[in-house]
Amino acid sequence: MSDETGPVAEPPVDGDDVVLRLVDVQAGYGKAALVLRGFSVEVRRGEIVCLVGPNGAGKSTVLKVASGLLAVRSGSVWLNGEDATGAKPQDLLRRGLSHVLQGHSVFREMTVEENVMLGGYTVADRTALLDRVEFVKGVFPVVAERWSTTAGLLSGGQQKQVEFARALMVRPDVVLLDEPSMGLDPKRTAGMFEQVARLREAGVAVLLVEQNARRALEMSDIGCVLDLGRVFVRGPAQELLADPQLSDLYLGGRPAAS
Amino acid sequence: MRNASDTSTPLRRGSSAVQALRGAGSGRLGPFAAILVVVAVLATWPLLAGNPYMLSAGVIVLNFAVFATAWNLMGGLTGYVSLGHIAFFGLGSYGTGLLVIHSEINAFVAVMAAAVVVGLLSLLVGWAALRVRGASFVIVTIAIVLVMLLVFQSWRSVTGGSTGLVVPRPFPDLLRPEHHRVFFYIFLGLLLLVLVSYLVVDRSRFGQALKAIREDEDKAQSLGIPTAMLKLAAFGISCFLTAIAGGVYALWFGDLDPIFQFDVVLSAQIALMALLGGVRYLFGPLVGAIVVGSALEYFLLNFGETQFHLVATGLLLVAVVLFAPDGVLALAAQLIRRLGPSATSIREESAAEVRAQQDARALAERVEEPGADATTDREDRR
Repeated sequence: MSDETGPVAEPPVDGDDVVLRLVDVQAGYGKAALVLRGFSVEVRRGEIVCLVGPNGAGKSTVLKVASGLLAVRSGSVWLNGEDATGAKPQDLLRRGLSHVLQGHSVFREMTVEENVMLGGYTVADRTALLDRVEFVKGVFPVVAERWSTTAGLLSGGQQKQVEFARALMVRPDVVLLDEPSMGLDPKRTAGMFEQVARLREAGVAVLLVEQNARRALEMSDIGCVLDLGRVFVRGPAQELLADPQLSDLYLGGRPAAS
Repeated sequence: MRNASDTSTPLRRGSSAVQALRGAGSGRLGPFAAILVVVAVLATWPLLAGNPYMLSAGVIVLNFAVFATAWNLMGGLTGYVSLGHIAFFGLGSYGTGLLVIHSEINAFVAVMAAAVVVGLLSLLVGWAALRVRGASFVIVTIAIVLVMLLVFQSWRSVTGGSTGLVVPRPFPDLLRPEHHRVFFYIFLGLLLLVLVSYLVVDRSRFGQALKAIREDEDKAQSLGIPTAMLKLAAFGISCFLTAIAGGVYALWFGDLDPIFQFDVVLSAQIALMALLGGVRYLFGPLVGAIVVGSALEYFLLNFGETQFHLVATGLLLVAVVLFAPDGVLALAAQLIRRLGPSATSIREESAAEVRAQQDARALAERVEEPGADATTDREDRR
């Protein structure tokens, strides 16, 4: 592994159920000021960690760093207890990290089957692949129902399920979700969050970035409020939701009569 | 395996004819049978053609069809529109011609040898050209043709320049009509080869990845698909098949001139054929070649060597863009769908959707258990 990222690359200390860990990460784009200024987070197996914070706080940047799309300036990334700092996206994918990109990202002209199978492109073992297909069909019923349908004909919420299923094809340990509610109406958003919970039940760790902060925190285990490239506060999601000050600052005021 | 997909039929009903057109029927062997039928039908042309001219026109159209189908393996599957494929056609024909002239090897062995060399060469060219996308790629491919044209015109000592290069015929004792007939069947065999190649690629994992590249290359890359390598492989296969067509053309026509062997306009016409027929369809380029090829011959025949056939090509292109932007076969598929049972109204669809979701929920309750597997057998991922 590359050591050029600085001296802070210390191995994780506590339990091995930490799947993804970012330690004191500094990162940014080009010559512009740093976006992340010493950001740390850890995601455990079967746990949903939700990043919330105002626009420009660096939420999406965290995901880009974690999936290898953006190099860190300093700090380190750990995947399954191994140093993954500076690893390429393809490499991380093979090591168990799947990134569901922002916006609609199914291949609209291809069938659900073709979409899901492309998710398993890096899986060479045919029988493992077919096992996996059965597994994701079980987790996401729409995938089974619409197996031969052109993905572009599905509703936005159904397309999200196809994307999630595709991400599960590599048998990931951790899935990064970038704004999964984007473009979905409130009802579909609720359905989508149910599907995210299914990912957790499937035994994967989820790192979630959401605009829809309150809804996202309600179904998350850990909340992590990001501001100015640092962790402002982190803790069990329910506690964050209960904190009136946080509510005012970051969650758009007190819960409306919803 | 539980066949849950059977409940999702509303969108599929009435589309089997469409799938047959696409060459992607649900049966594994269906499209292969379709290829055999099409080739068998085409094989009757020499019996119907009244005179040697019609026979030679058939050879030209088949040559276009082979070329356009080979082009489609790259242009259709990856969406990378090359206007420079004629460069590899020309290299294939000159390579074959020079081998036949300067060595003792069998003419058809020469075709294959030339095609292999051109295929390897295309990997080098593709390695550079495929670094750019969209319009830039189109321009780079045009530049390749112009470079080849200059080289082959200037390098007179080897290529004969614009005086031409006479390629000895492989069957010297055949009379002209017989010569056309033999080459008609050779090109037909070649058409069989490229159609099967396209179909095999189209249905493979490789083909799926190419189509993913066509839709969104970055997205494909994010799934771990080695896009650069696969694009290059598709380009190489496409150019190899194109070079074979060029080589056989050299043996048939017997006279090579750089201005025709590296003709950018013809290169564009080949792309037009594929687009006109429908790049998403196995037989699209073939249909396009028959339409454009016969139109070109018709205008040449009736209006002589005027530029009128070029005007006609332009008008044809306009007609395609206006009335069949996805090709003639897409238009046909649309008509079939319209005539078939209309099962895809939004209302019916959403009723089916609701039912499907209810079923799905029931199904989901039953299959909750497999979720536990993920934690226990995660070793076998590596």
